Amino acid sequence: MPFKNSASRAVARFQIAAVMTLILAAALAAPCAARHAIAADDPMSVVQSTVNDALAVLRNRQVPAAQRREQLKQIIAKSFDFTEMSRSALGYHWRQISPEQQQEFSQVFTTFIEDSYLAKINDYSDQQVQFVTSRNDGPQYAQVATNIIGSGKDPVAVNYRLLEKDGQWKIYDVTVDAISIIANYRNQFNRVMNNQGYPKLISDLKSKQQALAASLGDRR
Amino acid sequence: MSNVLESAGISRILFAAAFSALAISLAPVSRACAQDIAPLSNNKERQGIVQQAEQTPPGEDQGVYSDPLAPFNEAMLTFNLKLDDWILHPVASGYAFIAPDAVRKSVGRFFDNVDVIPRFANNLFQLRFAEAGGEVARFGINSTLGVAGLFDPAYHWFGLKEHPDDFGLTLRYYGAPTGPYVMLPFFGPSTIGDTLGLIVDGAMNPISYVTPWYVYLPVEGGWRVAEAINYRSLHLNQFEEADRYAVDLYGAIQDAYLQTRIHKTKELEQ
Repeated sequence: MPFKNSASRAVARFQIAAVMTLILAAALAAPCAARHAIAADDPMSVVQSTVNDALAVLRNRQVPAAQRREQLKQIIAKSFDFTEMSRSALGYHWRQISPEQQQEFSQVFTTFIEDSYLAKINDYSDQQVQFVTSRNDGPQYAQVATNIIGSGKDPVAVNYRLLEKDGQWKIYDVTVDAISIIANYRNQFNRVMNNQGYPKLISDLKSKQQALAASLGDRR
Repeated sequence: MSNVLESAGISRILFAAAFSALAISLAPVSRACAQDIAPLSNNKERQGIVQQAEQTPPGEDQGVYSDPLAPFNEAMLTFNLKLDDWILHPVASGYAFIAPDAVRKSVGRFFDNVDVIPRFANNLFQLRFAEAGGEVARFGINSTLGVAGLFDPAYHWFGLKEHPDDFGLTLRYYGAPTGPYVMLPFFGPSTIGDTLGLIVDGAMNPISYVTPWYVYLPVEGGWRVAEAINYRSLHLNQFEEADRYAVDLYGAIQDAYLQTRIHKTKELEQ
């Protein structure tokens, strides 16, 4: 019985819900943004405002699609720590590549994550987001739990992991049904680095990103 | 002839029983082993030695595995993907075209309902009596009020949730080392321990003890194929989606499987 087991189900869930998708998935939560005045800069409010801002942009259909995409990228850039994500996704290989390569990798990986997120947006427009809890994971770390609720589907648990740097909380990882996205990419990248090396990794990442961008109708 | 078959059946029960006894008796030993290979940041005795563990963000120790069976696994992944590409996906698409979504979901619930015994037994093995009892109640309600398991009134009317469990999780629950990751042909991602679990759970099927093997094996095989087709028909884009976002599909599946199993074990321990 090929692939009939919990793991493939998990892979499916995780991929379908991939990373950033979920932030936007909150489409219907947008009206709540007005009611919940965003207070101080704590982890919960960072996640809430990111989700709600992104959803507001998504729902504003009068603005052309390309322009909305730019606005969304700005919102993500504000609350995601892409440098930390890139470092963490490469694991110990990060220290073994040159500073130029680190910069190149961060750039490509950032675009890749952005495009993954944008590619999935529309699938989640009919779903709701519940902001559940926020808890500290140590002095500088926090985790915010949310649930994505779709019609007739099991809720998907999406947790945001945040890191405090210079008094600012930023998202450095997202877990979907308890699968860490960054850890998942770390395992993939580790395999490519060990088997084929950095040049192969960067070219694979670029071609995946370009395929995603092409499917968005936007080649760069 | 029937004597031989019967003794084969009994030996399977004995095997399952012996295996669980072994797992449970090994628990203290393997707990100690598990402690020994626990991530550095979680191992209090070593935290003093490894300064850097202090700076590791939560969750960062996940995601890199030793993978001694990688060459075999890679071949099996290719095999499974081809099998899916050539047979499973086309058949499931055709079936999805004919049968409405609601019907296929009911069929999925039917297959799930019938598989109650391993869920019950493993909850019991882990001394989760309420969950084990809940599985019995669910089976009773859904097999009758739920029309042979096609519907789930146990949850919708009585609020009884399913408690998935399997022997692989029982082994992990008692701290048995799970062994290396392995990609099984037909069955998908697993570990050595989880594969043993599949065998033990499979041996719990009572039908195999009352029907001759030349009836049981083809029926069981056909049953599982039907279950797989039904499942795939409800997740037609699964691999296409996975591949779209994966830089290395093997690594993506491996990590998602292992993270999920670790998480389920943690949930059981809570």
